[in-house]
Amino acid sequence: MADSRIANLAKILVHYSTKIEPGDQVAVTGHAIAEPLLLEIYREILRAGGHPNMLTRMSGTDYIFYSEANEEQLKYVSPMQKMAIEEFDALIQLYSGTNTKSLTNVDPVKQQISAQAQGELFQKYMERTASGELDWVIAMYPTPAYAQDAEMSLQELEDYVYSTTYADTDDPVARWNEIHDEQQRLVDWLEGKKQVVVKGPSVDLALSIEGRPFINSDGRNNMPSGEIFTSPVENSINGWIKFTYPAILRGREVSGIEIHLKDGRVEKATAAKNEDFLIAMLDTDEGARGVGEFAIGTNKRINRFIKNILFDEKIGGTIHMAFGAGFPECNSKNVSAIHWDMICEMRDGGKIFVDDELFYDSGEFVVDR
Amino acid sequence: MTDTRIQHLARTLVNYSIRVRKNDRIAIMGSVDAEPLIREVGREILRAGGHPMPVVQLSDWNYLFMSEANEEQLSFVNPFFKMVNEEFEGLIMIRSDLNTREMTNIDPKRHGIQAKAFAPIMETYMKRSASGDFRWVITAFPTHALAQDAHMSLEEFEDFVYKATFADTDDAVAAWRKIHDEQQVLVDWLAGKKEIHAIGPNVDLKVSVEGRRFKNSDGDRNMPSGEIFTSPIEDSAEGWYWGSYPAIHRGQEVLGVKLTFKAGKVVEAKAERNEVYLKEMIGLDEGSCRLGEFAIGTNTGIATFSRNILFDEKMGGTMHIALGSGFPELGGTNKSGVHWDIITDMREGGQIYVDGDLFYDSGTFKI
Repeated sequence: MADSRIANLAKILVHYSTKIEPGDQVAVTGHAIAEPLLLEIYREILRAGGHPNMLTRMSGTDYIFYSEANEEQLKYVSPMQKMAIEEFDALIQLYSGTNTKSLTNVDPVKQQISAQAQGELFQKYMERTASGELDWVIAMYPTPAYAQDAEMSLQELEDYVYSTTYADTDDPVARWNEIHDEQQRLVDWLEGKKQVVVKGPSVDLALSIEGRPFINSDGRNNMPSGEIFTSPVENSINGWIKFTYPAILRGREVSGIEIHLKDGRVEKATAAKNEDFLIAMLDTDEGARGVGEFAIGTNKRINRFIKNILFDEKIGGTIHMAFGAGFPECNSKNVSAIHWDMICEMRDGGKIFVDDELFYDSGEFVVDR
Repeated sequence: MTDTRIQHLARTLVNYSIRVRKNDRIAIMGSVDAEPLIREVGREILRAGGHPMPVVQLSDWNYLFMSEANEEQLSFVNPFFKMVNEEFEGLIMIRSDLNTREMTNIDPKRHGIQAKAFAPIMETYMKRSASGDFRWVITAFPTHALAQDAHMSLEEFEDFVYKATFADTDDAVAAWRKIHDEQQVLVDWLAGKKEIHAIGPNVDLKVSVEGRRFKNSDGDRNMPSGEIFTSPIEDSAEGWYWGSYPAIHRGQEVLGVKLTFKAGKVVEAKAERNEVYLKEMIGLDEGSCRLGEFAIGTNTGIATFSRNILFDEKMGGTMHIALGSGFPELGGTNKSGVHWDIITDMREGGQIYVDGDLFYDSGTFKI
C-alpha cells in the first residue's frame, strides 16, 4: 500500500482543488519519479467520474529539447498540450523534477523563443482559467532534488509537504474548507477598503487598494496555499521594504534586497548578493519596476524557507510583494514579462493598518471579523 | 550497451588507481544509483583475477541510520566494514549521492559519536594504506544531485566527470601515466626546498616546507586527481589568503573567506557570508587554526567549480590550503577534527616562488 499521505494529497487535488465532476476531462502532468502520486490521482479522478489523461514526463527531456531543438522545433506547440488547455476541464500539474538546476546553462534566448511561441496558448489558458472553464492546481511531489534545495533529507521534505498540505491529517478537505472560511472573512472585511500602511523593523510602506479585490488563496490553485493577495493601485505605493528572505528567480538567488518605491515605481534597489541580477531583472521592461502583487502568507505549517516559491510565499507571519505582472482579476494594469515574489518577515513586530485600523500585528490578524 | 566512458573509468580505477592483482579482495562501495559503474568495476576486477565484493547501499540509508540509531547503535562498528579495512587488499569508494544535503539537520554530535567509535579502524586503515597493504580510491558516479550542485544538467555533468577522469579518451590509463610523469618532475624539483611564497591578487602567503615531502597526486587515491600537495611546517605560515571560490565544509557554504596568518596561526578570519561558521570551525580544536595542507591543482580538464571537493581542489590554475589535520606521510604533525580545503584562483597573475625562484605563474609551471 502506498503512503496514506500520498493518497490524501491526491484526494485533496481531485475532490477539493479542482472538484472533478463526472465527465470532466482532466490532464495530469508530472515526472515519472512521481509515479506513486500520479497513480493515486488517476484513481481519484476515476472515482470522481472523470477522464484522467496522464501526460507523464521523463527527467532530462527539457534539457535535451533546449540543447537539440532548432528554431522551428523551439516554436512548436504540442497539440496534446494545446488540446488540454483549449478543451479540457481541469489541469493538475506536479513539481516533480529530479534536478532543479538542469537548465542553468541553456541559452536564455532559446527559452524566450519557446515561451513566445506558447504565448497564444498561454493567453487562452489565462482566459479559460479566469472564466472558470478550466480548473487548475499546482502541487509538489517530494523528490531528492527539492529536498537538496531545502537542505533536508527526502524523508524530512516528505513530512514537510504532507504537513503543509494537511495530507497528514484524517480529513484534509475539511481542514482546507475551514481555511477557506477563515480567509473569506478577511477578504470580505477588506472589501471596499482604501489605504494600506505596513510598518515594522523591515518595512515602511503605504499603498492604495481602492477598487482592488483581495483573492482568497485557499488551496484551489496552489497546494499548499494559505495567503490573501491583491494587486495594489499602480501609482500609489510609497516607502521602503527590506526583503528578509533570499529572492529567487530563474534559479538565481538574490539576498539582502532593499527597495525604495516612489509613486509605485522602484526608485532604488540594492542587494547584499547578486545586485547586478536584481537590477537587470527590474530593467526587463516598463512594468518590471512596478508592483503586481501585495500579499499576506497565512499557512502556519509553512514555517521554514525551502527555496521554493510554491511554499515560501505562504509562510504564516510573512508578507510578500511581486515586482512585474499583476493579476487582471484584481483589476491590475501592470504588465510585464516577469512576476518576482519577494518575502518579508512580519513576526518581529510588523503591523498592517487598513484605513487607519490595526488589521495585522506580528503575524496575527487582529481585526474584529 | 553501457556508456563506454563508464567502462573506461572502471578500467582506470581497477588497473591504474589500485592496480588489482590476482586473488586481491576488493570491496566496492556505492549506492544503488551507481549500479552501472559498480557492474563495470566488478567486471574489471574479475578480469584482473581479483575478488570483487560489492557493498551496495540504499540511496537514503545514511540518513535513515543517522536519524534513527540510538547511541549504542551509533557506536556499533559494522563487522563487515571492519574486515574490509583490516583484511582486504583494496577498496573502491563511489560517491553517487541522491541528495547532497540530506544530513543538514542531523545533530553534528551524532557524527562525533560515530567518528569516535570508528577511530581504531581509521588508525588501522591509515597504517595499512601508508604501508601499501590497503589500496583505495574515491571516485564519483554522476547523479542528478551532484549535477544540481554543479548547476548542470545530468548530461553536462556526465561530460564533466568523464572529461576530468580522461574516461572520454581511448586510453585513459596512458593519460594518467603522463600526468604522473609530469608531476613527478615537479615533485622531484621541490625535494629539499625550504620556503614557498604565493603572491597575487588573491594571496600573499609564505610557508616553510623544509623537510616536508610533496605528494604526487596522480589518480591513485582520488579519481579524478591532478594536484601536488604537502603539509607545511605548522608554525611557519605568514600573510593572508583569500578564497576566491565558495569554501564548503559539511554542506555549509562560506563565501569570500579571508584569512590572516601569523606564526602559522589564523589571527584574523573574515567572510562575506557565513562568517560565524568559519570562526566556529577555526576555534574547534588546537589544530583547526593551522594549515594541514598547501597544494596546487593541475587538472586542466576541470574547468568549472562544481561544489564537489573531489573535483574542485584539482582545478588547473588554482591552489588551495587546508585548515586542520595534516598528512603524517608527508611529515605533517598538525592534528585536528577538521580538514577544510579552501581554493583560490591563480590564473590572473598569481605566482609561486620557491626559495626565491619563480616556480609557477598564472596557472603555468615555470621550471
